Amino acid sequence: MSGSLGNVATIARVELRRFLREKGNVFFVFILPLALIVFIGLQFGGQTGTQLGVVLEVEDDAARDLVERLDAADGLSVVEVDDQEGLTDLVSRANLSGGIVVPSGYGAALEQGERIDIGFVGRPDPGSGSLRAIVAAEVAEQTVTTAAARDAAETLGASVTDLLPVATQVRSELPRVEVTTEQVGGDELTQELQALGQFDLGASSQLFLFVFLTSLAGSGALIQTRQYGVASRMLSTPTRLPVILAGIGGGRLAIALFQALYIIVLTAVAFRVDWGDPLTTGLLVLLFCLVSAAAGMVLGALFRNDAQASGAGVGIGLVTAALGGSMVLLDFFPEGMRRVALLTPHGWANTAMAEIVRRDGTVADVAVELGALAAMAAGLLLLATWLLRRAITR
Amino acid sequence: MEALLTCEGLRRSFGKLTAVDGVSFQVGQGETYGLLGPNGAGKTTSISMIAGLLQADAGEVHIAGERMTPRANGAKQHVGLVPQDLALYPDLTARENLDFFARLYGLDRDRRTQRIDQILEVIGLTDRQKDRAGTYSGGMKRRLNIGIGMLHEPRLLILDEPTVGVDPQSRNAILESVENLATDGMSVLYTTHYMEEAERLCDRIGIIDQGLLVAEGTRRELIATIGEQDLVRLKITGDVTAAATACDQVEGVSSSDAEDDQVVCLVDQAASRLPALLSAVASADASVAGVEVKEPDLEDVFLHLTGRALRD
Repeated sequence: MSGSLGNVATIARVELRRFLREKGNVFFVFILPLALIVFIGLQFGGQTGTQLGVVLEVEDDAARDLVERLDAADGLSVVEVDDQEGLTDLVSRANLSGGIVVPSGYGAALEQGERIDIGFVGRPDPGSGSLRAIVAAEVAEQTVTTAAARDAAETLGASVTDLLPVATQVRSELPRVEVTTEQVGGDELTQELQALGQFDLGASSQLFLFVFLTSLAGSGALIQTRQYGVASRMLSTPTRLPVILAGIGGGRLAIALFQALYIIVLTAVAFRVDWGDPLTTGLLVLLFCLVSAAAGMVLGALFRNDAQASGAGVGIGLVTAALGGSMVLLDFFPEGMRRVALLTPHGWANTAMAEIVRRDGTVADVAVELGALAAMAAGLLLLATWLLRRAITR
Repeated sequence: MEALLTCEGLRRSFGKLTAVDGVSFQVGQGETYGLLGPNGAGKTTSISMIAGLLQADAGEVHIAGERMTPRANGAKQHVGLVPQDLALYPDLTARENLDFFARLYGLDRDRRTQRIDQILEVIGLTDRQKDRAGTYSGGMKRRLNIGIGMLHEPRLLILDEPTVGVDPQSRNAILESVENLATDGMSVLYTTHYMEEAERLCDRIGIIDQGLLVAEGTRRELIATIGEQDLVRLKITGDVTAAATACDQVEGVSSSDAEDDQVVCLVDQAASRLPALLSAVASADASVAGVEVKEPDLEDVFLHLTGRALRD
């Protein structure tokens, strides 16, 4: 790389290096976004499945078989709990969807066809009823199979234990009556949100919040470059003003992209966040980063004091994030506020991201949002270039 | 001497203020040229036009035959600028700062490494090259600031008041460095408002005041403009202005100016004129508290030419 392009890269690289060297930036770029994504995911994220707590008062084959059956049930996972008190506590605090207590003597009662009660612990909500029905169905299935083995054992004079695997095998080969479910009515938004991963919701909204916030707060570095006299000294080198401006802009864009990429890759790998179609998301994030970088440049050109610029940047960043649906879902906004949201880049970006992640949107589906962001980026870049040109040559 | 730098009728205004008004001078190959003038005289504005930072309203600058403008990349390769204020990144190390500017000057990797090592050696920062510039002392930062200007081996090094705010030890080191540059054949344009620096370093000096180049020449030539006269300083008790006016009437006195609590006179044969001067002061209802007679220097030349002291 040589000439003007090389100089653009040189200036951009130094901007990025200086940014990463600032300890405060490390917190805002690396730590805080992830902490908030995790926090939002844990607080508000959809559960990855229904968790059923099981207390085994005795470890017999029948009890173990029941646990395996429940664990294999669609959408259900079993968590073993030490005692009933602990189970009650976990369910009441919503850490578990519900729980059962398998009493001692369960296996023997099943083999002998005697009555035995399995205790169910649940909260007073519709989910508990559904969970109880699943547990009852699995217990009934186990009871029927054991009863078949017991009847055969009495007829053949063999032991129930020996014939239980055979009965299980026969049961699995018998045709079943399956009940298919079609959900009608209800809230489409709720269904969409339930289909999301636990951290999906927080990841994209926090990405937009922090990329924009970091870009604006980082505008102080731009002012420092002027204050240090480095910007005007660059003009004494064989580097033209447009190249210097492109380098400064490139540096801001590199910082925004770096942070965005960090959040995307880490949340995708560590939290299995679904970012949708890579091309569409990539385009959206690139355009949002361009808008953020340009907004940071505008702020850096308007202010003369880096502390003022950073302070104003944080304020503007938080307000636009709130208005643009990065703190509360746009779907929950009243109609008027949704229109206001479209004055912010976050509003367009969050709308597009909802389409991409919740409804498998492609570039064509979010073309309007991408166009709006591109227009914002172009307008802000033009303004930033004009203001910075004045500020540097003043 | 062949001219490396030629300034012709440079003019630049900021609103209603004319900062530089028709400045013309030349700097020869290997010459150290000083622009001497008080703060606000137009030195930095002149330098900004010469280095291609500012577009001149009128006039032209040529360096090594190439016209300098803010877009003249070719001409800028010949110039190294050391601004008055530090112009470096305090959050980068000395080496990183040098590397950054070396890249902007287009030095390839091998030359970059070689020149950075050389410059670090010259400015005495080899041992501290990996420390951030923000942790350096004022003198070390100044040296790094100068080093950046010399990085690409320019034919003309422009130093804009490089010793302002520097401790005496670092100041001396900087002056020695400039002397060495001149010895190496580099042309130097040096601005200062310290007369001693101009006298020590510069082959020729241009005196600039209120945007005008009021005189130019070697130290000897400039002092000769005053004539074969002595400088008499009379410390006055009483009305200094009235005393200066009275002294101006004395025969053999070519100029008499009030400066703080002193009257400064240029006088033929000072020893024979002193009684008349003392009488003149007494006639102005003032008295003389002290007398100093000396040969004139650049400070006196400036005073003679502008009616004001350099430090005003």
